[in-house]
Amino acid sequence: MAWFRGLCEKHGYVFAALCIAVSTLVFIPGRDYFAKGQWALMYLPIIVLVAGMSGVRPALLASLLAFLAWDFFFLPPYHTLIVSDPKDWISLVVFLIIAVVMGLQTGRMKDRESMALAREREATLLNRFSSHLVSQTTLAGMAEMLLQEVCGATGAENAALYLRKENGELFRAATHRVGGDGIETSSALGIAEWAGRESKAVGLPSTRRMGKETESWPVSIDAETLGHADERGIFLPLHTEESMEGVLYVGPRRDGHSFSVHDARLLISIANQATAYLERRRLTGIASQAEALKESDRLKSAFVRSVSHELKTPLASVTATVTGLLEDDANWDHEAVREELSAISQDLDRLNDSIGSLLDLSRLEADAWVAQKDWYELGEILGTTVSRISAKQRHRIEFALPEDLPPIYVDFAQLSRALENLLENALAYSPESESVYVGAADSRDGVRIWVEDHGEGIPDDEKARIFEKFYRGKSAEKVPSGTGLGLVIAKEIVRYQGGTISVTDAKPHGARFTIFIPKERQENR
Amino acid sequence: MPSPEPKSKILVIDDEEQIRRALKSILGSRGYEVLLASGGVVGLDMAIDSTPDLVILDLAMPDMGGLEVCRELRTWFEAPILVLSVRSSDAEKIEALDAGADDYLTKPFSAGELLARIRALLRRAGGRAVPAPVVSAGDIEIDIAHRRVTRCGEDVDLTKTEFEILALLARNADCVVTSRMILQTVWGEEYADDTQTLRVHISHLRKKVEPHASVPRYILTEPGVGFRFSTH
Repeated sequence: MAWFRGLCEKHGYVFAALCIAVSTLVFIPGRDYFAKGQWALMYLPIIVLVAGMSGVRPALLASLLAFLAWDFFFLPPYHTLIVSDPKDWISLVVFLIIAVVMGLQTGRMKDRESMALAREREATLLNRFSSHLVSQTTLAGMAEMLLQEVCGATGAENAALYLRKENGELFRAATHRVGGDGIETSSALGIAEWAGRESKAVGLPSTRRMGKETESWPVSIDAETLGHADERGIFLPLHTEESMEGVLYVGPRRDGHSFSVHDARLLISIANQATAYLERRRLTGIASQAEALKESDRLKSAFVRSVSHELKTPLASVTATVTGLLEDDANWDHEAVREELSAISQDLDRLNDSIGSLLDLSRLEADAWVAQKDWYELGEILGTTVSRISAKQRHRIEFALPEDLPPIYVDFAQLSRALENLLENALAYSPESESVYVGAADSRDGVRIWVEDHGEGIPDDEKARIFEKFYRGKSAEKVPSGTGLGLVIAKEIVRYQGGTISVTDAKPHGARFTIFIPKERQENR
Repeated sequence: MPSPEPKSKILVIDDEEQIRRALKSILGSRGYEVLLASGGVVGLDMAIDSTPDLVILDLAMPDMGGLEVCRELRTWFEAPILVLSVRSSDAEKIEALDAGADDYLTKPFSAGELLARIRALLRRAGGRAVPAPVVSAGDIEIDIAHRRVTRCGEDVDLTKTEFEILALLARNADCVVTSRMILQTVWGEEYADDTQTLRVHISHLRKKVEPHASVPRYILTEPGVGFRFSTH
């Protein structure tokens, strides 16, 4: 039924003429059974029908035709427009008035109804579109959704979205095709460029017009005439006051008709929303880039500050001690000199640690520390790692490794460095009387290695920050040395090996650092 | 502490003056005769003229790379070469060991570390004359002459190959022994590249002598290089 209504709406005048013609043909054989005035009444429902189906203008046509048909076929003398009885003149005029008024009333109602329907359809669609738009996080997802909606709403056989590259040139970001042949790529891009540059909607003329008007091709059209454009496709620039975000191409309708005014309005609304989305997205991108730059500047200066602190403190201490020893006016006995020298030695160790850490970090960040992976037993890595820890602390470390732990595919030196950093931390941040535990477990997805201490632990709000450069926990003041780089290096190394590092609370208190080395990554390499 | 071999001659090849000065004072004060060369070319000449008992060679030198000097020296020079490297040049260090260097030290190092390595290397070089009779570390004791290994006073049953590996490592206690050297010594020249076999034997050996089942304390892996028997 809907298609019939659609047909009546589209070809209202034809429908009106057809209705009057058919009804007249039906009425003529019964001309002698009813009074001539009654035939006028018979036409009225037909006019109402036309008004209801096709709106005001066709109804007016139907009224006029009915007026003529009544006069011509039913008022004597028949088959002339001449009216013999002067009283019939009055009937004729009254009929015309009644017909027109009825047609107008019903037609207006009909027009309002169809407009309301269209508005509602439009509003639902736009609503859905905007809610989808909000939920789209990727540009590709947004483009796909936009084109689908456009094709669905307007009945276009295909659609495409052109977006701007960094250099301002357009590229075809996405296409959607329901039917038809699609659009030729090279010329389409040119027209899209033109539409974008001129900020004008551009229509590709229909094939039947193209032969004659090649000179004015493509045709520039504005939003008002869009609805009546008899085009194969439309290029709509997506532009705001300041910028051009892209161009939307909407192909011809699948049914071959041109776009209706509603379609055009809908298209423009959708285009506006898409434009707003694209602009917001671009601006957010710019803003976050600026934010990231600022953050990186801040980190850099924090880095320089911390580095100079880390390097200068032990250096200052060594300088002071050595120059003190060199002074003539003091009397140093042998024991005192030894004491000073051992302090210097400690400072130098610290300096060496700091420089080593910085070197490791910069090698990792510059990707200059090339991982040399091979299959190793975790135990042998731990053995070598522990041998680098001072003999005084070594006995505090306890191992709980399963016997059947499979070999892992890692860079020995790097993983060893990461584990050493975790162990040094665990030893430093827990009391001398407490052991530090190293454990491991194999699972289907990978191997977990953990280092656990029973110190004070790490408060929840510090857990994420301890992996940042130079961040030292609140309890760090009690620990004399430490560069604030150990965990950063561990994290970078583990990331470099394709794994992750995390920290949780140990029971009853303390911290447990877990390194996870995934399996599938290992086998793929 | 046993006194060093009388008047062992040590040639230091390093382009950095501070390092040469420090080494001279450390070694000189321990009774060694110290020769200093400020570059690779000079160093090679001095080695020919004076035939030192040990060469300390810096890997990073401007005129002639330490690696090249090492290769050149090894064409005729048989005494130990100790290589000095920096932290970031692991690959170079491994190459140097392949090129015939005997051990390495990472800068900065302590005087104690340096002297321990030198003593171990000189002992190894003169080893045929004075075999180290018994090497002990923690609770294990290796009596090389009597082919006997004990742990906490109890005999450890080793296969012939396992014992030979352990004995080689123990004779070079606290020095790195390259996989190639172990393979050549224990299996023979033609097996020099069969590192996989070596790993399997090392794994068995560890199970027998190490106090902890999976974390070695004595037989440590030197990644990419070989193994080291640690007595500390």
